[in-house]
Amino acid sequence: MIKAVMMMNTQGKPRLAKFYDFFTVEKQQELIRGVFSVLCSRPENISNFLEIDSLFGPDSWLVYKHYATLYFVLVFDGSENELAMLDLIQVLVETLDKCFSNVCELDIVFNYSKMHTVLDEIVFGGQVLETSSTEVMKAVEDISKLEAASNAVSLVPKSVSRWRGR
Amino acid sequence: MSGMRGLSVFISDIRNCQNKEAERLRVDKELGNIRTCFKNDKGLTPYKKKKYVWKMLYIHMLGYDVDFGHMEAVSLISAPKYPEKQVGYIVTSCLLNENHDFLRLAINAVRNDIIGRNETYQCLALTLVGNIGGREFAESLAPDVQKLLLQASCKEKAALCLLRLFRKNPDVVNADGWADRMAQLLDERDLGVLTSSMSLLVSLVSNDYEGYSSCLPKCVKILERLARNQDVPQEYTYYGIPSPWLQVKTMRALQYFPTIEDPSTRRSLFEVLQRILMGTDVVKNVNKNNASHAVLFEALSLVMHLNAEKEMMSQCVALLGKFISVREPNIRYLGLENMTRMLMITDAQDIIKKHQPQIITSLKDPDISIRRRALDLLYGMCDVSNAKGIVEELLQYLSTAEFSMREELSLKAAILAEKFAPDLSWYVDVILQLIDNAEILLPYAASKVREYMDKIAIHETMVKVSAYILGEYGHLLARRPGCSARELFGILHEKLPTVSSPTIPLLLSTYAKLLMHAQPPDIELQKQIWNVFKKYESSIDVEIQQRAVEYFELTYLVEDVEDTADQSAIKLRAQQLPSNALVLADPQPVNGTPPPLKLDHESASQTQSQPNGDLSKAQSQIPSADLVGEMVDSLAIEAPPVDMGSHQRVYREEDGIPDEVDGTAIVPIGDQANKVEPIGNITERFNALCLKDSGVLYEDPYIQIGVKAEWRGHHGRLVLFLGNKVTSPLTSVQALIQPPAHLKLELSLVPDTIPPRAQVQCPLEVMNIRPSRDVAVLDFSYKFGTSMVSAKLRLPAVLNKFLQPLQLTSEEFFPQWRSLSGPPLKLQEVVRGVRPLSLPEMENLFNSFRVTICPGLDPNPNNLVASTTFYSENTRPMLCLARIETDPADRTQLRLTVASGDSTLTFELKEFIKEQLIAIPMGSRALVPAVPVPAAPLAQPPSPAVDANDPGAMLAGLL
Repeated sequence: MIKAVMMMNTQGKPRLAKFYDFFTVEKQQELIRGVFSVLCSRPENISNFLEIDSLFGPDSWLVYKHYATLYFVLVFDGSENELAMLDLIQVLVETLDKCFSNVCELDIVFNYSKMHTVLDEIVFGGQVLETSSTEVMKAVEDISKLEAASNAVSLVPKSVSRWRGR
Repeated sequence: MSGMRGLSVFISDIRNCQNKEAERLRVDKELGNIRTCFKNDKGLTPYKKKKYVWKMLYIHMLGYDVDFGHMEAVSLISAPKYPEKQVGYIVTSCLLNENHDFLRLAINAVRNDIIGRNETYQCLALTLVGNIGGREFAESLAPDVQKLLLQASCKEKAALCLLRLFRKNPDVVNADGWADRMAQLLDERDLGVLTSSMSLLVSLVSNDYEGYSSCLPKCVKILERLARNQDVPQEYTYYGIPSPWLQVKTMRALQYFPTIEDPSTRRSLFEVLQRILMGTDVVKNVNKNNASHAVLFEALSLVMHLNAEKEMMSQCVALLGKFISVREPNIRYLGLENMTRMLMITDAQDIIKKHQPQIITSLKDPDISIRRRALDLLYGMCDVSNAKGIVEELLQYLSTAEFSMREELSLKAAILAEKFAPDLSWYVDVILQLIDNAEILLPYAASKVREYMDKIAIHETMVKVSAYILGEYGHLLARRPGCSARELFGILHEKLPTVSSPTIPLLLSTYAKLLMHAQPPDIELQKQIWNVFKKYESSIDVEIQQRAVEYFELTYLVEDVEDTADQSAIKLRAQQLPSNALVLADPQPVNGTPPPLKLDHESASQTQSQPNGDLSKAQSQIPSADLVGEMVDSLAIEAPPVDMGSHQRVYREEDGIPDEVDGTAIVPIGDQANKVEPIGNITERFNALCLKDSGVLYEDPYIQIGVKAEWRGHHGRLVLFLGNKVTSPLTSVQALIQPPAHLKLELSLVPDTIPPRAQVQCPLEVMNIRPSRDVAVLDFSYKFGTSMVSAKLRLPAVLNKFLQPLQLTSEEFFPQWRSLSGPPLKLQEVVRGVRPLSLPEMENLFNSFRVTICPGLDPNPNNLVASTTFYSENTRPMLCLARIETDPADRTQLRLTVASGDSTLTFELKEFIKEQLIAIPMGSRALVPAVPVPAAPLAQPPSPAVDANDPGAMLAGLL
């Protein structure tokens, strides 16, 4: 199972972080910082794998890929294949590349909501959902259309305010 | 997603923030705005609500609490329009956990979407449940999700959603009812659906493989289809490899079945595996390589699991052997990892051993991940035949290994050495090297030799080693049964009659160490050990005799000095034992053995006034320029005749000693013209005292002023020790203090005259009223003969003395750090002209002035974060935080941020730290006291005398 997906830049600023186990906001920050401090001390041209028990508890592994100013990070347990996780990062990046044609850090920064949509089409509850970037793109485009179609203003129905009042 | 300008503007604002504080201000402003909008949500359009909820999620990612908005996010789930609903689902599943109350409230809305007709809503709802659904969801939604999985178009999501629900409550999916439908799912042609279904199957079979045995042949079929690349659409071909994820997952699923009984299925599977093993080459394209090797390594795992025929196994080992020597680091990493797994298989070890040199090379790889795998593998493959080589490699690596690996490394080396030692001497070598390298092993080593001591007959070398180790580290075991100082002494002393005379001095050393380390002091043990020393005082062996005498004296004197309650008893004993003191002071025997009790430091006056090698009687004490010598010094000071209050302790000189001591202490007066020069650098002495609590403040040929201080909160108590070094009295003694405004100082009465060779103690009470870096000055003067001597001395009652070290965790630190935002409570400054220090040196420096470094809090390894508490009458105990951002490229500059709840304190502390960084006081980081404190009788703890024996030299003599 995938425990977390993170994207952060080479200064350690998180650009996207999604955790599939629940952590408090403080713990999440600690994990992001912890991962960054490990990554930033690693030189280029060494392996993409790390044991990360010290941060995420026993049986925790991490793969990362460094693209230009960004780190893409997956944390997972022993039920996943390390190289397959590395491939999944590549799928994510290739999908983003299709989304933004030549993706760069700024695209990721300013399309925060779209990033979540894309990620949710690839990883679902810590499991690999879709590995074909073509299929992911299709799904994401469908969602965009749906959004555009219903841009009309409408009010929150009464039923909602009722249970909120309880 | 389209056009959320507000979110972009906000993100852009955050990006433009220069520092964390600015970011915090901007975030607080935004949160305030969102809060207000949510409060009067009458006029809030769904679009605006959506925008705010996205902003909240972004703010949450930056590390801020957005609990207040959870409700709004959840409420969007019930929104009628898609865009708001989508945001509600996404944000809720990021912010809430499965036990959140709001989530329970939403369960009906979610269920309505799942059983509704709208497929896109179904997908959204499934995503939420699949991410954060808990037991309650499992119980109420599992049947609906199962239904969707068999009919609807969002099968992938339904499969993974069911997987989540099954994990939360395994009862909701029952093999009896579900196995057939699971098998049916595996007949699906769509590779996307198959990938999700296979993940579900992995989870199900890990729980109950028998129930799902009907799925096994289907898995093999899927694998065949992929491996032969039959009917694999282009979008599922990844760098030419048919869906590597599905291949990997399928092989994972197969590893949960213990065996494959059906021969034809088994045969088909082995064919496929053979094809994968043979058909994978290393190619140039990294992504293709990764994908093909993901499949290959999973195939290797499956082959190992199935325990295939020998031929196939040796093929695997050969492949792994190739992988561990390739350059591609990922492949090498996985090669090592899988080779470790291979060790489980019989017959594989011998082939793996052939690769030992290659594996050892990986132990020196620049990548810690690879080094760890190599270490695991070496540990696993070690046996009697190769233990020596492997352990020696580990030891060699230990000396250069990073801190994070040392513990594991030394434990592994120790375990292997013990398990497979070909001979005892080698084992001893290994253990000694480990002790030399790794503190973590000291208790382990001590407990091991303690076990050895229980054996009836042990070799004398072992007695020596054990004596040394137990003496040095035995106290680390003190709490374990059978390991108290007295018990250790007991078992060691049993061995004494059996050992030869060169070993006896070693045992005596150990006894002295045991006595010194015993906490709390053990009177009974002391009696026993003193009896032993007494007995050997008259030994004909010079070495034994000398040690017995000196150790007795040493332990005895320490006892004296520590004992403050019973002064008259000390005096009495001191008078009873003059002969011992003289023996102690005697020059070394003619055989030329160096004195065993040499301390690292010598008193300044002695080094200055003593030529070496002069054996005249007056200077015969030079070799004992050690703790014992100092203690004789302090004992030899006569009581002043005037009453100086109840705190004073008085030592009466012992007849016969002072004359000899004089020779070492007096500088010929005739040489001094008229001016009295201080000995040593006053500024350096002051600086040193700023960082420690006892030492010499001032010294000249006639007087030595020592200081000993205790600090508690905003109170301090200093004792000034005024020691007359000469045989004539010092008169017109005056000590006036010019107190700065922030300190209240009360100096007790200073006598007008200090008698010859006497020491006077003057307590000085200090109270800190408010933070300031001003320093109190002591105006000190006296007359020697006709010449007047005066000195202005800064007193070490400085800012850092009113700090109490305090180490914070990140949970404690960051909220405080954030709540202190901006000047005047938080000040930042770029400090230039810093004396270059490495980070550990800088950490030591900060810790030395009681600003505690909190390691690991700052994600950037070039930064330090520190905390402390300041005490003064005006401020309450006040938390102070500091952050130092160093520039690895230029160590002479750094950025310093200091924060506290009091603006004066923040400023003063910042300036104080700056002063410390720019002018590093001499000796601040010295481990050994730079200047001994003959005037302060309590200053020296007993242990350094023993530790000062060079353990290396002792060991060398011992082996």
